[in-house]
Amino acid sequence: MAGLLIWLIIGLPWAGAVIVWLVKDQRPRAQHALAVGFSATSALAALFLVTLAGSEKAFSLPMGNAYGELTFIPDGLGVFLAAVASVVGSLCILFSVDYMRGEAQLGRYYSLILLFIGAMSGLALSSNLLFLFFFWEITALCSYALISFNNDDPKAVAGGIKALIMTQLGGIGLLAGALVAYAYLGSYQISDFLANAESLSPALLGVLAFGFLAAAAAKSAQFPFQTWLPDAMEAPTPVSALIHAATMVNAGVYLLARFYPAFEHVPGWKEAVMIVGLVTALMAALMAVTANDLKRVLAYSTVSQLGYMVYAIGVGGVFASQLHLFSHAIFKALLFLSAGAVIHAVGTRDIRLMGGLGKEMPWVRNAFLIGGLALAGLPILNGFWSKELILEAGAEGGPDWALALMMLGAGFTGLYTLRVYWLVFGGEKRSSLHAHDATLAMRISLGLLIAGSLTSWLLAGSFNHLLCETLPFHEIHDLALVEILRVVIMAPLTWLALGVIGFGMLVWWLRDRLSWLTRGLGWLNSLTAHSFGFEWVNLQIIKIVKGLSGVAAITQTGMLNWNVVGIVGGLIVILIYLGWSML
Amino acid sequence: MNSSAFIWLIVIPVFSSPVVYLLGRLGVQQKIIRRRTHLVRWTAFAALLMTFVPFLLAVRDYFQGELGILKIEAIWLQVDGLSLLVTMVVLILGILVVLFSGPYMADEIGEEKYYAMLLAMIGLMIGLSCASDLFNLWVWFEAMAVSSYLLVAFYRRQPAALEAGMKYLVQSAAGSVFVLLGIALVLGSTGTLNLAHLHISAQSSPILLAAGALFIIGFGVKAALVPLHTWLPDAHSQAPSGISAMLSGVVIEMGLIALLRVLTALSGESQAWGVILLAFGACNMLLGNLLALRQVQVKRLLAYSSLSQVGYMLLGLGIAYYTGQSQGAQGALFHLINHGLLKGLAFLSVGALVYVLGISLGNHAPLTIEDLSGVSKRYPLAAIALSLAVLGLAGLPPLAGFMSKWQIFLAGFESHNTVIVWLVVFAALNSVLSLGYYAPLVNRVYRKEPSPAVVAGSSLPVVMTVPLIVLTLAVVALGFWPGMINWITQPAGIALLKGF
Repeated sequence: MAGLLIWLIIGLPWAGAVIVWLVKDQRPRAQHALAVGFSATSALAALFLVTLAGSEKAFSLPMGNAYGELTFIPDGLGVFLAAVASVVGSLCILFSVDYMRGEAQLGRYYSLILLFIGAMSGLALSSNLLFLFFFWEITALCSYALISFNNDDPKAVAGGIKALIMTQLGGIGLLAGALVAYAYLGSYQISDFLANAESLSPALLGVLAFGFLAAAAAKSAQFPFQTWLPDAMEAPTPVSALIHAATMVNAGVYLLARFYPAFEHVPGWKEAVMIVGLVTALMAALMAVTANDLKRVLAYSTVSQLGYMVYAIGVGGVFASQLHLFSHAIFKALLFLSAGAVIHAVGTRDIRLMGGLGKEMPWVRNAFLIGGLALAGLPILNGFWSKELILEAGAEGGPDWALALMMLGAGFTGLYTLRVYWLVFGGEKRSSLHAHDATLAMRISLGLLIAGSLTSWLLAGSFNHLLCETLPFHEIHDLALVEILRVVIMAPLTWLALGVIGFGMLVWWLRDRLSWLTRGLGWLNSLTAHSFGFEWVNLQIIKIVKGLSGVAAITQTGMLNWNVVGIVGGLIVILIYLGWSML
Repeated sequence: MNSSAFIWLIVIPVFSSPVVYLLGRLGVQQKIIRRRTHLVRWTAFAALLMTFVPFLLAVRDYFQGELGILKIEAIWLQVDGLSLLVTMVVLILGILVVLFSGPYMADEIGEEKYYAMLLAMIGLMIGLSCASDLFNLWVWFEAMAVSSYLLVAFYRRQPAALEAGMKYLVQSAAGSVFVLLGIALVLGSTGTLNLAHLHISAQSSPILLAAGALFIIGFGVKAALVPLHTWLPDAHSQAPSGISAMLSGVVIEMGLIALLRVLTALSGESQAWGVILLAFGACNMLLGNLLALRQVQVKRLLAYSSLSQVGYMLLGLGIAYYTGQSQGAQGALFHLINHGLLKGLAFLSVGALVYVLGISLGNHAPLTIEDLSGVSKRYPLAAIALSLAVLGLAGLPPLAGFMSKWQIFLAGFESHNTVIVWLVVFAALNSVLSLGYYAPLVNRVYRKEPSPAVVAGSSLPVVMTVPLIVLTLAVVALGFWPGMINWITQPAGIALLKGF
């Protein structure tokens, strides 16, 4: 049964991708309907699968020499990520019905999203490292193709290629891990890897641990790979909501959580994970404070929140990280889709041109407000519980200075959330933009996400229980919902954190009186505008490769004489090598 | 039990070659037919279709344990897993190219020569894969090369095509001399040219080492090892697109096959050969990618990408020779098949665009990347075919290239050798680098604003879409289900290492 469901969860969107493409762009209504139908059915299947979660193989198919067995295990980590992917995916597709109405090349748009949804569920459910990587790369491919969906815009093209190349670079770490597993342990099965990781030499295990960290950092836009995500905002907004907020970027966090038991004892690994998360969370929060592009603010905040999840894993809070992943997927999708409704209505992404939109689009304003409060971590929204749990985990398993910095980050989160909300919806209109409120399909998807943001924390207990039951290698304490809530409410840390968040928001209210402070921090502004120098590094790498390519071009003279010199020279080199090897 | 029925694999294409030529020439001169186009192309197609019958029989015989061998005096032809693998790729790509070339070459001057040479080249390649002594290997190889020179310089009124043909000829001839010298050294020092006998009896000696070096360089020119590759970008971009597909998809790999046959026979030094192949592999991957990054002509870009793809095969083969394990060879041969399909698909889809945007309108200018803008709107099939082909070459799933690169990389890790593992990482980095030129192609194709060339283009003939559809389905299917090709890569990889 579970095996069949898994086939449906992956197969339905993929079949839909082919069919929508075959329907052709002349029939947009059919394309909209088909895309919604296929994704919604797959979402239902994924929700049903959650009830059948277990730690046994649901499906297994030998793929032949060198490829191991294609297997799927519907364990707690997997089913929940698959459910997030297909449910949020179907909501984003529903939203697209209004958002993308009248756009050209709808077939390509829906095909790629459906392909992505199937691949993301596959990534979550695969228990074979090779196929984990297989699905991992397909999600990268879809992400690239959707970022540059508007291929006529050079920025979109550049953003897509940048995302693809950076995630692929990191992906080599995962590739190496899968190959080592098979070459040294004789199996691609993740469970075999977790069970036998200790038998690998410490050096090899260390390389793997950091290779996986690189792969996760690249996928989840963590330091030092964080620069691709803001540029990915050229994608149509539902794509940003789905791929670059709710699902694909979480794959890195998922990977770290999945392999945590194998690597937790590798010297320095946990500390490295913690610092990557910490640095990213702070840096991105600062950048969100100064950005003026609505989607980029949200992108930076995604990077920052992902930093919280990575930090949580670094301090041993696997459950906290996954719960925050869950909350974040919902409230960030809500924020992005609301932002999409705003952008769709006013036709710009520059928040300096907005303002006062709350009166014209109250529906969207309320949706954004709820998402924003969850992002800031205010009770009783889902973001509050999960963020507090992360800070709890930090207090338990991490150093105090790191915890203090993460609290500071929470303050910044409050600041930039209020800032962006105010600049878009509050105050007076700053330009003559005309806006209209969300339409029906948009309202349905926003409404469901609002409901999710308000209530998803109620599932914390059962989620925790599911993880305990189905993850044989992880040590997760079985806590009921009430206990989790009590832990959060009773902790003094929670109230302290709320104070810091409130202080962050206060800073925004008092911004006029704090102008001396903003002037004094002008240098910070220019630092964030240049992404802390990371863009410069990227540009240098491109420059070096181009330079090498120029050098290589010199060898292609087009002169026959030189060509023959190459042949003779090659012979001489080989003869010298052979002569040397005989000595 | 022995069977020599496989000889029809060679006989049918080689002997139908003059028939096609004569039909084309005489038919027109005697006014029996008005247009030779249909006659020659469908005759060629029928001949290749017929060749599939002996192929299937040979496959059946092989798996029933019958030894396919034919001895005419001292000339031995023998079928093993590697021959079957090569035959399969050559026949599949060949018949699709013939189908594709129908409209592409229609009413060109010398059209009948094109099909005659193509058939001959296909038959000779199959013969080459069955040759079991050094001298005949060389003869088949040269004969195949002669037919390919003529095809590269097919547009004889275009100076660029002639220049390309000339470079190809001169460099190949230089290589050929080295091969002959090598053969002389082997014969002089061992007294035999039979590969199987050599494999058993040859002792390691400086003379044989020198012979091996000569073979690597001699056959390496055709296989486009860096720095012997300099003829390739011209030849592959100037040839008619169907021939570009054949050249990149199978002809350069034939240089590799010939080289492997010989190196396996000289097995006393297989570790040294492994090291040399690995070094060439690294050079090919890097230089091919770096050069491709700068190209603005699509066919030239694809030609350079062939260099780096050969690099991956060399990596797998080098690992196999160095470690003595067949995993690397299997991966390399799987990649050979995939590269044949993917690069064939890439050149054919670009060829389809060259046809609709240029040739059908009487314009022979090379297709640039800018011309590709917005192709998807009018030619969705060619657009998706080209996109999948280049993404597959870059090694992205769920396409065939991912799986074969995976097997090669796995072989590297299974060697448990640090240097080889780093080479694999280097190869993976190169795959990422290759996206730097493949991805922009895809972005171009899916622009919404079509280029002037696309607006003015003619419509794509149905018969040209058939090869595109077949190859697209094949590369996707192999990406999902790599195991379905194991039946041939496994025996071929093992045959390669044990020398028949």
